[in-house]
Parts: sequence; structure tokens; C-alpha cells
Amino acid sequence: MLTVPIFACLIGASAGAAFTFIPRIRSIAPRALGWLLAIAPGTAFVAIASQFPRVVEGEALTWRTPWLPALGIEFAFYLDGLSALFGLIVTGIGALVLIYAGYYFTPKHAESGAELLGDASAAVHASHSSTDARFFLYVLLFMTSMLGLVLAGDVITLFLFWEGTSITSFLLIAYKTKDEEARSGAFKALFVTGGGGIALLAGLLFASAISGSTDLTAILRNGDALRSDAWYPVMLGLIAFGAFTKSAQAPFHFWLPGAMTAPTPASAYLHSATMVKAGIYLMARLHPALGNTPMWFWLLIVTGGATMLVGAIIGLRQSDLKSILAYSTVSQLGALMMLTGEEAPSAFKALAIGVLAHALYKGALFMIVGIVDHETGVRDLRRLGNLWRAMPWTFLVCGIAALSMAGLPPLFGFLAKETLLAAGLEDALPLLTRIVLPTITVLTGALMLAQAASLTLDTFVTRPGAGWPASRLGTDDARDKPDLHAHEAPAGMLLGPALLAGLSLAISVLQPEAIVSLLAGAATAAYGAKVKVSLALFHGINLPLILSSIAITLGVVSFALRSPIRGIPGAAALNMNLLYDRVLRGLDGAAGIATRTQAGRIRAYLAVILTALFALVIVFGELWRVFDGAVLPDASRRLLDEPFGLQSALRAFGLLLAVAASFVSIVIRRDLLAIIALGSSGLAVAVVIALEPSPDVALVQAVVDTLTLVVLVLALSRLPRAQRERAEGLNGGDGQKRNALLAVAGGAMVTVLCLYAFASRPRASLVTPYYEQNAKPLTGAADIVGAIVVDFRGFDTMIEITVFSMAGIGVFSLLRYAMKKRETEHLPAQGEVELKVKDRQSWLMPATIRGIDGVRTSPFVRALGYVALPLAFVLAIVQMVYGHDQPGDGFTAGVTLSLGVGFWYVVFGYDEAKRHLRFLRPGLLIGVGILTVMAGSTAPVFLGGGFFSPFDFSAALGLPLPEGFYISTSFLFELAIALVVLGAVIFIIDTLGHPERDLE
Amino acid sequence: MEIIKAISIGALFGIGLYQLLRRNVIRSAIGLSIISNAVNLFLLSIGAYDGVVKAYAKAIGQRSDALPQALILTAIVISLGGFAFVLALLYVIAARYRTGDSDEVKGLSH
Repeated sequence: MLTVPIFACLIGASAGAAFTFIPRIRSIAPRALGWLLAIAPGTAFVAIASQFPRVVEGEALTWRTPWLPALGIEFAFYLDGLSALFGLIVTGIGALVLIYAGYYFTPKHAESGAELLGDASAAVHASHSSTDARFFLYVLLFMTSMLGLVLAGDVITLFLFWEGTSITSFLLIAYKTKDEEARSGAFKALFVTGGGGIALLAGLLFASAISGSTDLTAILRNGDALRSDAWYPVMLGLIAFGAFTKSAQAPFHFWLPGAMTAPTPASAYLHSATMVKAGIYLMARLHPALGNTPMWFWLLIVTGGATMLVGAIIGLRQSDLKSILAYSTVSQLGALMMLTGEEAPSAFKALAIGVLAHALYKGALFMIVGIVDHETGVRDLRRLGNLWRAMPWTFLVCGIAALSMAGLPPLFGFLAKETLLAAGLEDALPLLTRIVLPTITVLTGALMLAQAASLTLDTFVTRPGAGWPASRLGTDDARDKPDLHAHEAPAGMLLGPALLAGLSLAISVLQPEAIVSLLAGAATAAYGAKVKVSLALFHGINLPLILSSIAITLGVVSFALRSPIRGIPGAAALNMNLLYDRVLRGLDGAAGIATRTQAGRIRAYLAVILTALFALVIVFGELWRVFDGAVLPDASRRLLDEPFGLQSALRAFGLLLAVAASFVSIVIRRDLLAIIALGSSGLAVAVVIALEPSPDVALVQAVVDTLTLVVLVLALSRLPRAQRERAEGLNGGDGQKRNALLAVAGGAMVTVLCLYAFASRPRASLVTPYYEQNAKPLTGAADIVGAIVVDFRGFDTMIEITVFSMAGIGVFSLLRYAMKKRETEHLPAQGEVELKVKDRQSWLMPATIRGIDGVRTSPFVRALGYVALPLAFVLAIVQMVYGHDQPGDGFTAGVTLSLGVGFWYVVFGYDEAKRHLRFLRPGLLIGVGILTVMAGSTAPVFLGGGFFSPFDFSAALGLPLPEGFYISTSFLFELAIALVVLGAVIFIIDTLGHPERDLE
Repeated sequence: MEIIKAISIGALFGIGLYQLLRRNVIRSAIGLSIISNAVNLFLLSIGAYDGVVKAYAKAIGQRSDALPQALILTAIVISLGGFAFVLALLYVIAARYRTGDSDEVKGLSH
């Protein structure tokens, strides 16, 4: 049952998403959308209200499902009086806001049709167009989060939804994404509330660690343990920080006025009625567990009281209607936070009344401001005035809500102020607070009255500019401007504010039993003991009433004197925005320090990375232990013991050759020669491998090394000559010593690592004997290495050739992209194409063939080229057919073929090679290769074999093959490997060998 | 023999490292290739058996360990693919910044 409201809102949000993203239904009129989507919160409202009778009895409903059972975290909901009050506000106002937003987002000209000219607002609203479903989506997502927050029965669940409200709030504040102010306001809000969220999480984790559970009821039960814990101050500080930032308490209040860039329906909903009260809700929720300590009292009283006064003072000076409301919201939130701190039943009664009263009148006032903005395009109080004739109903609704804000009888706001005063006069409070709190409350009450009056009268009754000193009117003197073209708002738009304002009146006049019990239930849940609530307006002449009268008198006076008060310079010194800017700049500065270590040179980064890597290997590999005694002596003993025969001598020679050739590649000046040195080094390595003895690997190493050479030469030839020569001259230069040091260190480290590994390697392999015994019987292969590659580890190899083909395709697409522009410039003219077609018919090359890099090749080399390719094909086929019993396999075959092709590119040049080898299409080769593997490995499943297991197709299909020949999966595999390797290498050679000389 | 091998592999690695850190991008590519050779040699040398005959079913005597051989066989081919890709990247860098000098690659610093 408890999940119904959440699900209703989620379904609404999904509908909002559908209307946002599905083009066909996106053009729905905003009004219809608003009414339609309001069903979701409406349902949720009813669902919560239906639980009402049980909740007011003091019963708490719970619903839970395991979420992270290993951590004892549950996804849980919890409904008691406090949750019910907030839940009803969230869903009730939510429904009204959705309906209202539908009208708000309907362009004004669509209503009257005559107001297009000369009206800025028409243009602004027209630009909203029909894609405003996005707004409904965000609001519904927010609603889901907010509802989840107030219904959460587990602190982790609560935190999840808490963050959800921060994020959706961010999205709504930055709704006009092209507006710089909106973006910075949204970031500010997220920065502040997000930071608070992290603190809150830490605090909640403290609370659950102390109470032993993340479950809310468990935490509420363990109040004594929590309060007496040594970590209590830290925990409370963290949680309060989260609540203060969220509920815009001073000194974190500055984000809320910045959040007014959100569309007004969102401001009405998030930034006055619901989200900003999340902090209040949290503190009230946790009051039974964490409250009733001096720290709680002073922290909340001081913060709340200061916030209340600061908000009220700054608010009076604002000229933007939404800013006025934002600051008065800050002030009211301060009052509520203060009440949460006061340790008395009357305070929690005042809290429940204050939450509801504020939500009602402030929601209504925000919507009224939205209406004024929508109808006139103006939100500046200095330019507004005299609207009551044009908008009488709006004026009426505004008046009622403003009376409630001013705290005048018989409205609900009067009750809120009375109970607030009474709570501050409780005997239980320290004397100091009994003086200070009512004083602040009276001052704030007076300022609120002045602002409410100014808001209503200066908008609707007085002439534009009234109530402002000349110094604040500036050059933009509104009095010279023509009258605003104002019209009464449509009835549907007035519905929301009228209903809310009407409730402000009806609740205090009629005092319905349901509301009374709801408020009592909420106050009881927050206080932790029974709280009685009565909504009687008149209790006889008592101190609160007298103070209230003083506040009203002071308020009227300050309204009358609003013009001079607004003229006092510098009263806005309480500007937290400056500090915020400074903090941000400080962060930027810290980032700057980090940035300065980034020199922007690739080699420097590489050096840092390698140094760090070495350090990690040495520290965590404990490489120094090699000198501990066991390893080195052992290795040296074996060196002495080992007969240093011919094979060892050959190996040592091979290794020496490899090292020497590599070293030559350092000292030699020309790149081309260095590449050849690299090639010889690789061949020497092949010799060492062959002496291992492992002929298969040696063969692959030899052909791959040669191909590497070819690819490098091709790549080199693509770099412009001047660039190359310039780069060749760079062999000296800075950083060389550091590099040498790093290289020596790295080499030494690897040497030690090798010694360590050689000395400590296990002398008995677990796996190899299995392969050795089963290679012949299971796969029919005499070559164990080949059997491992294509049979035992066939799946692995299949993925490896896929990776290899990806590398080829990657090279191709990377370079194609890089030279796309020039490609189009080089498109051959019509005549050229015809000439090439004719050329194709003769197999003979033109006499002026030039090889790679424009070098003229001799006829002998060309003749070699002609012979090499067919030979390579023959060699490759032999390797594939006999690969199972002899050195050589699909890899060698593929690389051998590629070498033949690469030779053509080098000898005949790009164009000729490409023209004559057009039958080798790399994409096709790769595709056929990979399909062959897949087919070859899956087909046996249907023929009685296993997936990727050796299978003799010729026997299974009864093919008449000569004695000793058979077609097995491994043969298909070898074939596929060869095809894929060939395809990928052709991609590589083709793109790297593409002639291009206009780079310089 | 093991000490010679260890020193040689270390030397190859160090030389590769030095080349990798140079400003000339072609030398960096060469360095990469040398390093992969060193790593393959290392992997081959840590097999369980120091064989005297090749890893064939019919061979008589202590066979060399087939497993690391099979592993580096594919590693060699794959490193060719990776190497080619690095070359393509280097080429794009050279074309974009019109230089073969990695220090002249701008746009990394603030």
C-alpha cells in the first residue's frame, strides 16, 4: 500500500518521459498535458489520504524489501503523521502545480491572439513551444524523489531520494539551458545541496553504525545510545549541515534566490512548498532520536533565528517579485528550523502549523507571480502597478494569500505566527532565548507584513514606481513606459493559487477536524510524545496576542516607510554570494596548481607514468628480496653448474646480437637504418626462440618481425621528408640524461624481475603435461603448440584474431578519417578513370613504375615481386595443411601472404599494387575468416561433436579424400586465421602505404 | 645462462624504454617494438621446463614447455596489430601537428 504513491508518481514521470521523447505525441498542448499528468499526484494524494485514519491513531505503517542484504540495507517506506503531512503537501500541491504549469507554458498569444506586438513576454513564451513536456518530466521525477524522501523508512533509502531531489532541482533551475544565469544558479544550488548531501550521508552512516541498523525505526528507538555516543557532536553536525544546506539556512541560504531562474511553477513547488522543507523534515524526523540535547538546541535555535531575520531584512530590499518570495521563504525556513530546536510540545505544534501554512500561502503567491509574469512579461516590482483593473481575480487571490503571509487574522498564517510566538515564550526555555526569540519573531513578522503588503499593493494598486526611492529606480524609469498590456489569467491557471489561498482561509475559519488531527499527528511524530493541536484563533488577551499586535503595527509602519528603508545603502552586506565566489575561485586556484605540473609534453607524462609504475613494481613486488640470499646465489650456482655447451653459446650469441642491434637503433642517426637495426634485433630474438627450441614461435617471430619492418618503412615514407629530417636531428636535446637514467633503472628492474622469476618458477607444470599427453589422441596434432593454439585454446584464439582484425580496421578508419578531406580533392576526373579501365586489361606494368617513396626499382627486383606472391600462396597453403604436424600455422601463413603483398606495395608502388591486387579485399577476407571459425566451431555440434572441439569433417561427411588427408576443425581454423591476418594486414599496408606528399 | 638471459632481457627493455622516451616519434615506435620483444622473451623463458627438444608429440627427451610458446605465438601477432595501430596514431599526430617531434605536440597543456 505504501508503494502506491511512489508508483503513481513514477508512472506519471514515465508518461512525462514519453511525452518528452516520443515525437508523435510530443505536440500535445501543455494544458492537456498538465491536466493529464496531474492524475499521478492526485492518485498518490488519495492513496496517502486513505491511510489517514490509521496514521492519526499514532500507528506507523511500514513496507520493506531487501536491497543490499549483505549490508543490512533495505528499501523501506514508513508512514506516520509527519510523513503523511509532508506527503499530502507534496502530492496535493504537486497536482495543482502540474495543472498550473500547463497554462504557464501555453504561449500567451495562443490565449488572446492579439497581444503579439510589442510584448516581450509573447516572444519569450512562444519560444517555449510544445517541447515543454520536459518540464513535466522533471517535476514528476522530482515529485517521486520528494515523496520517496518523506516516506523513506531506511536512512539509505532516504539519502537516495534526497540526492534525487537535488538533481531534479538542478535540472529545473537550469531549465532554460541557454541562460547563463540559470546555469550558474543551478550549479550553485547543486554545489551547496550536493555538498550537504555528502555530509548527510556520512552523518546517517554514523547514526546507523551506532544504532546498528539503517532502519529508521531502529534509529528512532535508539535515541539514548545515539545521544550518549562520543561521536554524537560529529554525527549531529554532519546531519545538520545536510539539513541546513538543503533548507537554505544562513549562511548557506544564498543558493535559493539564485534558484529563482527555474520556471515559476517549479519555484512554487520545489523552492518554497516542498524541497526546501526537506531539511526541516529531516530534523523533525530525527528529533526523537537526536534531539533534546544542548547542542541540538543551540545549533538549531541560533541558525534558525539568524536565518529568519536575515531573510526578512534582505527580502524587503528586493525588487524582483520572485526574489522577494525567495527571501521570505528563507526567513520562514529559519523560523521552522528554530521551532525544531525548541524543546516543547508547543514548538512542534507551531512547526506543523507553520509547514502547512507556509506551503499554502507561499505556493499561492509564487503562482500569482507566475501569472503576473505570464500576462505582463514583467516581474520587476518597480515597473508593475495598477493591475487590479485588468486582473481583479488574480488580485483577490493574491490578497488572501498575502494576508496569510502577513500573519493577519483570520488567516492560517496568523495562527502560524501566534503559535511561533507562543513557542518562543515557553517557560522551559532559557531566559535569554525567551527574550531574543520573540523579539526576532516580532521584527520578522513586521518585515513579512511589509513585504506582503508591498507585493500585493505595489503590483495591483499603486502606480508603477511607488514605494521606491529615486536612487533605486535608476534610468530605467518605469513611469515613462506605456501601460502594461495585462489580461486576466485563464480560470484554470487561477485554480491552483485560488485553491491554496482558499485553504489558508478555510482551515483557520472552519477548523476541520481532519486537518487538526493531521497536524496533531505530525507534531506528535516529530516531538516523540503526544502533542495537542487546536486551531482556535482567539485565546483571550495574552502575551502572544500583544506581541502580534506590535508586529502588525511595526509592519504597517515599515510598509509606509518602505521607500526610505529601501534607499539605505549597503544594507545588503550580508552577501554570501561573495564568499561562494571566493570559495569557487579558491578551488580553481587549487586546480591551477595541479595543472601547472602538467607540462604538456608527452614524454614527460610517459616518464612520470613509468616512474610510478616502477615504484609500484618494486614496492609491491618486494624486489629487494632478491638480494636476501636465496635467489641470487641459487641462480649463480646454476650458472656454474650448467654445462655451457654449444647450444648455450649460441643462445648467448643470439641474445648479444639482439641487444647489440637494438643498441645500434639508438645511436644510428637515420630513421631508416634504425628500423633495419630493429629488424635485425627481432631476427636475433627469433634465433634465440628457435634455440629454445620452439620452431613455431621462431617462425612467427621471424615473419612478423619482417612485416613490422615493412609496416614501419611504409609509415616512415608517409611522413614528409622535411619533418623526418627535423626529427632525426633531435637525437640530442633536453631530458636525455633523465631518459637514460630511467631506462637504466627500468632495465635493472626488469633484470631483477627476471632473475626472481627464473629462480622461483615452478619446475613442474600443472597444465603442460596434459597438453603433451592429449595433443595427439584428442586433436590428432603432432605439434603440441599448434594443438594448443587452434584446439585447446581455440576460443581464445578466435577472440585474438578478432582483436587483430579490429586493429587493422582501426588503422584503416583512423587514417581514412585523417585524410578524408584530401581524398575528396583527389577524386579522379572522368578521363582518368577510363584510362585506368583500359590499363587494367593489360597485365603488364607500364615502364615507368616507381616503388614506394618514388624510388625506381630494378627489373630484377620487380621480377622477384612477380614470383614472390605466388610462392607466398604456395607456402601459406603448405603451412596450413601441414601445420598440425610441423612448424608453421595459420598465423605464419597469414603473415607470409601479407609479406608477399607488402613486397608488391614496396616494389611496384601503391597505385600499381592496388590495381593488380584488387581481388584481395580486406573486409571480405576478415569477414569470411571470422565466419569460417564460427561455422567450423559450431557445425560439429550438429554433426555429433562438441562446440570448439576437434572434429573430422571429411570422415563425418564421407568425403573421398586421399589417404592421410582430412578436413578437420583445426584446418578450418588455420585457414580462418590466415584469412583474417591477411585481411587486417592489407588494411594496414593499404592505408599506411597510401601515397601522400602534400603534407609539408 | 639464466643470468645472461636476465641481463639481456633487462638490457632490451632498457633500450626500448630509452627509445620510447625520445622526441622523434619513429624512435618511440621502435622502442615499443623492442619492449614487446623483451616481454615475449621473458614469457618464453619462464616456462616450467628447459627443454632440449621441440614440443612435438613424437619427440624423445625433455620437451620445451609448450604453453608459454602457444601464448606468445598469438601475442607476437597481436603486438603487430597494436604496433600498426600505434603507427597510425603517430601518423595522425604528425599530420595534425605537422611534426615528428613529440615535444611539439601542442594542446595538452593548459
